[in-house]
Amino acid sequence: MKTRENDVVAEYLREVDQRLAGLPVLQRRELLNDLAAHIAAEQAERNLASEGEIIEVLERLGSPEVVAAAAHEENGTRFTPPPPAANRNKLWLIVGIVAAVVLVLVTCGFLAFAGADSSIEGPAQPAVTAPETLSPS
Amino acid sequence: MAEASQLATSLRRGTLEFCVLAMVETEDRYGNELVRRLGEEPGVAVGEGTIYPLLSRLRRSGWLESKWVESPSGPPRRYYGLTPGGRSALDHFRTEWVQFRQTVDRLVGTGEAA
Repeated sequence: MKTRENDVVAEYLREVDQRLAGLPVLQRRELLNDLAAHIAAEQAERNLASEGEIIEVLERLGSPEVVAAAAHEENGTRFTPPPPAANRNKLWLIVGIVAAVVLVLVTCGFLAFAGADSSIEGPAQPAVTAPETLSPS
Repeated sequence: MAEASQLATSLRRGTLEFCVLAMVETEDRYGNELVRRLGEEPGVAVGEGTIYPLLSRLRRSGWLESKWVESPSGPPRRYYGLTPGGRSALDHFRTEWVQFRQTVDRLVGTGEAA
């Protein structure tokens, strides 16, 4: 029972924290501490026990979006949600392109090498075999 | 509806912080208390949680000071109090606000005479 209520609170704080990217780390920590202290004080002073009552406290605090937006507004920063995901995607795109280029180069090199190989051995063999196979027909 | 809440946001910006300063003018109060009182006022705070970033900024700008105090019932409370700088900022706002309000009342026709 106790853990379920804590889960709701932890999830709420995590969702706020995710939206605080770009804020100085100390302010970020301060806000999370203040919110956690607020929730704990409400719980203790009003003797809240059920998950429903905890959720009500969280609803009065406001959605993680609203709270994080207020923090960014006070700090003059902007919530930039895509960067981590976008950067990761871009990184994978670059890795993919590099891998593809390397693969093409290796393949070309291999083919060129194989071609060079066969150009050395190639003429020698047909030169030997060709007359044998050609002469009967 | 969106425009109505936009107006409330605009009016709140620049005035809410002085409401907060005034609330701790005579005695220190802790976060939950401040937030609860503001929450009871219509059209002041959208979410109680939005007050904490404001308290943080007021503390960083030197208008509020805070200290953690043990509570008889529950976890430690963070109490906020007015600094001398906060007091003069509040005094300045009061002067400006009265003039501003009178001007707006006169222009918009919301004064007592209207």
